[in-house]
Amino acid sequence: MSSSNLTPGKHVVVTDFDGGEGILVDLNTKRYYQLNETAMAVWKGLAQGKTTGEIAADLTSNYEVALDKASLSVQRIVDNFQTYKLVSAE
Amino acid sequence: MQTENSINDDYGPRRLTVELANICNLHCSYCFRAEDNLYSSHAEFFPLELLRRVVNEAQTTANITMVGFTGGEPTLHPFFAETLQAIGDAGLKVSFVTNGWHFDRVWPAIQANRASVSHVAFSLDGVTRETHDRWRGKGSFDRLVRAFSRCYMSKLPFTIKIVIRRDLVDQLEQVAIFAARMGAASLHFGHVMPTSNGVADDSALSLDEQRVAEEEIAILARIFKMKIGIDVGYYNIDERRPPCAPLAATNMNIDFRGRLSLCCNLSGFRGSAADELDVVADLNVESFASAYARFMEVAAAQLENRKTALAAFRSQATTPDLYTGSPCLFCLQSFGKIPWHSKSI
Repeated sequence: MSSSNLTPGKHVVVTDFDGGEGILVDLNTKRYYQLNETAMAVWKGLAQGKTTGEIAADLTSNYEVALDKASLSVQRIVDNFQTYKLVSAE
Repeated sequence: MQTENSINDDYGPRRLTVELANICNLHCSYCFRAEDNLYSSHAEFFPLELLRRVVNEAQTTANITMVGFTGGEPTLHPFFAETLQAIGDAGLKVSFVTNGWHFDRVWPAIQANRASVSHVAFSLDGVTRETHDRWRGKGSFDRLVRAFSRCYMSKLPFTIKIVIRRDLVDQLEQVAIFAARMGAASLHFGHVMPTSNGVADDSALSLDEQRVAEEEIAILARIFKMKIGIDVGYYNIDERRPPCAPLAATNMNIDFRGRLSLCCNLSGFRGSAADELDVVADLNVESFASAYARFMEVAAAQLENRKTALAAFRSQATTPDLYTGSPCLFCLQSFGKIPWHSKSI
């Protein structure tokens, strides 16, 4: 859980919105994915090459959330990214 | 053979089309705007005060309900937010056509004027990074997709406009699927407006190819929920009503110099003869009211010219050629916009 070699797919276009939300467009499937603030933070963390553990730690710094809950959230979001083939292993 | 045609007989709202800027940040080889205006001469932007006056006068005189901004690239106007606000202040709706490159930068201006912005029209050249960026430069496609995303998430209707070059004619269905998946409210195809024999030969379709493409677009229009049509260059010899909004005098163009002219597709046409017979008046020194009267005369006269040209074919029991059957090409030719073509026939 603490390590990650996942990176955002080159086929995904990300757009930042005010308030921390964002939207992804998968250019392969031409599908939109709306991201809430947490999911956007995870996406940005992966783009910066951070591990899921580091991203969870970041969340605890920026939000009032315990590490175990943050870690679960991050993993669930990453799993979704993988399910929809939005990230790929380096 | 029974075929469907795809001519849109809806002229849309009565409106002004205003060229906000002469310049563009992209260099699309098939663009029909004069290169001197786009790239060589100094930047000229439509004056705000003139915009306010003309819009007010056009409301009273011509009952316009909408203003569409074009260019060049309209988002390059240094007071783009103020231009949107000026139309909103007049109680009208506004839209603009853009290549999307600067959309992130103007997005706050659009949000601030959301009540008056009816929709945005984006120019597309292909449904992949490779095909689009080949014409518009690296990074264009991603910027465009981000612009779609902003509109989609904010429920701002957007239109996709795409020119049917020869290399794209086999991909009309893919274009429609792409536009639908991106959430476009409508998809507007347009034929190439040829600016030279080279462009005509390389990119523009022949009459037969155009007919097949227009039939295909008609089929797509029936299949998709999204509105699909052809804006520019279509073949239409139905004389019962004017073939387009300018000739119906419901869409008036004002160029970046503030001159009222017949149609945005004729304005500043690349390689055209020096005479600008489509320019009706300089609104910097004349009221819209007096200019509009002449605009309607020019539109009516051009409509008669075309009827005469079509009648000549009818009297010989022959099918009008592309440069007569297409209202856009007929106007380009008769207003001296394509001297290279006149010489070649």
